Amino acid sequence: MMKRETFNLEMPKVGIIKGVLAKDIEVVGEKVVNLRTCARPYRNMYSASQLRTIKLVAEEYGSGKVHLSPRHNLEIPEVRQKDLDRALRELYIAGLFPGGAGTSVRNIFTCPDWCSSSVRPVQEIGMMVSHNFGDRDMPNKVTISFAGCLNGCSRPYNTDIGIVAMAEVVVDGNVCKEGCRACMESCPFDAVEVVDGRVRVTEGCQYCGRCLNACEYGVLKKGRTGFRVLIGGKEGSTVRFGVEYMRWVDDFEVLEIIDRVLRNYQEKAALRPGSTRKRERLSEVIERLGMEAFMEDN
Amino acid sequence: MDNGGILPGRIEGKVTLRLRPSAPYSSELTANQIGVIADIAERYGSGVVHVTPRQTVEIPDVLSSCLEEVLQQLKGAGLSTGPIGRHLRNVIACSRWCLYNATAMDRMAKRLNDLYMGVVMPGKMVISLSGCDFSCVRSRTSDIGVIARVEIELTDRECKRCSLCVKEPLGCQVDAITITDEGVVIDTDRCVRCGFCTNICRPGTIRVRARSFDLFLGGKGGIRPREGVFYKSLSSEDSLLEEIERVIRWYREVAEEGERIADVFERQGGGPI
Repeated sequence: MMKRETFNLEMPKVGIIKGVLAKDIEVVGEKVVNLRTCARPYRNMYSASQLRTIKLVAEEYGSGKVHLSPRHNLEIPEVRQKDLDRALRELYIAGLFPGGAGTSVRNIFTCPDWCSSSVRPVQEIGMMVSHNFGDRDMPNKVTISFAGCLNGCSRPYNTDIGIVAMAEVVVDGNVCKEGCRACMESCPFDAVEVVDGRVRVTEGCQYCGRCLNACEYGVLKKGRTGFRVLIGGKEGSTVRFGVEYMRWVDDFEVLEIIDRVLRNYQEKAALRPGSTRKRERLSEVIERLGMEAFMEDN
Repeated sequence: MDNGGILPGRIEGKVTLRLRPSAPYSSELTANQIGVIADIAERYGSGVVHVTPRQTVEIPDVLSSCLEEVLQQLKGAGLSTGPIGRHLRNVIACSRWCLYNATAMDRMAKRLNDLYMGVVMPGKMVISLSGCDFSCVRSRTSDIGVIARVEIELTDRECKRCSLCVKEPLGCQVDAITITDEGVVIDTDRCVRCGFCTNICRPGTIRVRARSFDLFLGGKGGIRPREGVFYKSLSSEDSLLEEIERVIRWYREVAEEGERIADVFERQGGGPI
């Protein structure tokens, strides 16, 4: 018989998580793992064929259930260790990769561009970031979130690096014909005024773009857009809110800042006080050094 | 029983469907349900599916003319639409297969989801149930956050010194365990009561003494994020459910239109009694 050429699969470093069986299922003597999968190219979207592959893997090699993780991952639990190679192969072919676990850059969190609140698309730049930095080895876990508006469904305030789109509001002609005051009511910061049928945006504006959606008559228009970058947030056993590092940055600058933050973090992270093996999260490094000292290149 | 969930799309004649699993689980999907979602996305949508941070999935660009048909198919598969707006948003529970979590929260999530399906609230309401202190589901920035705790104790069973409970990658995440010549020593000040060690200890030297649930109130994300405050510790799932029901009753009584629990706290300067 001819020897068949085999494709040697290199085991991914992250994404295969030692699993336990659910407490109500007894399978004696079988080792199981949980597979945390991320979809490529967009990590927040799965295509229909990718979903079918997940269905197949969950049915054939797992227990027929899929856990939806809060970072856009689909987790296939209880994959039997002996089937792992075959399961991984199926996933690879469909453009699904294990990842987003351990001390690495976790799955990039972006909100969908079709959301009506979004003021600037983030999916493409999210894809670029995940392509460049995704699953990179880090001292501790690093979470990066992109949000298309200040509402921040992807929790940019509570992630290590949060990037929030912002949009300037331009009043077209300054005359509000209808006087419906929808913009005024929609503003969470009371920064829109309607006086004598004239709309005015005051200094309190935080560029969330809610009034743009509220205005049905086209008086308010979207001006320039950009991103604000928040660094050093976290959620989990302690909560930290990210500190604003910069405003009105564009796509390229975002990539640059993320690169700089990750490099500095790798260089400057120390062991956690009292711990022999756990290293600091980004927020702890910044608390220890201060933002300026942290962002300085050595 | 309507929770909404049919969101306006960016293209005319098309809508975005937000789906949540409703049976048999509310925080995970079955393989069959994934197949149904894939079919719908391909036949009626644009072939892509977005996984949201609250354990729901969104299918964009679904033809609104075919909506009846789609909803019928979803119903048959144990999927429902929603929730959006001023409802209890999908209660999320962390993975019951996670090594760290010692108390599976999926049943609790299902009970809460069933209980408040279609109930209109004064504002948006978010409940997150976490099986351990690390709270991947973000319990501390949810309106009502639950973190399951496990009190551990040492038994007479002899420690086999496998040191799984102290080594990477599975060992204690907060370095609360040391193995000495006499056996296992636990630093109770460091212990965050996640119960992880009870999951991996093969000889059963470390075991669960008691389970409890910590309730956090008034956290939120969004435009003005707030950290929730610790409210109470409950000893059983039933008493936890009762307490959450009580908090929701209080919230529906006192909250003004559009207020979330954090806003009520700010206005009143205190929590429920």
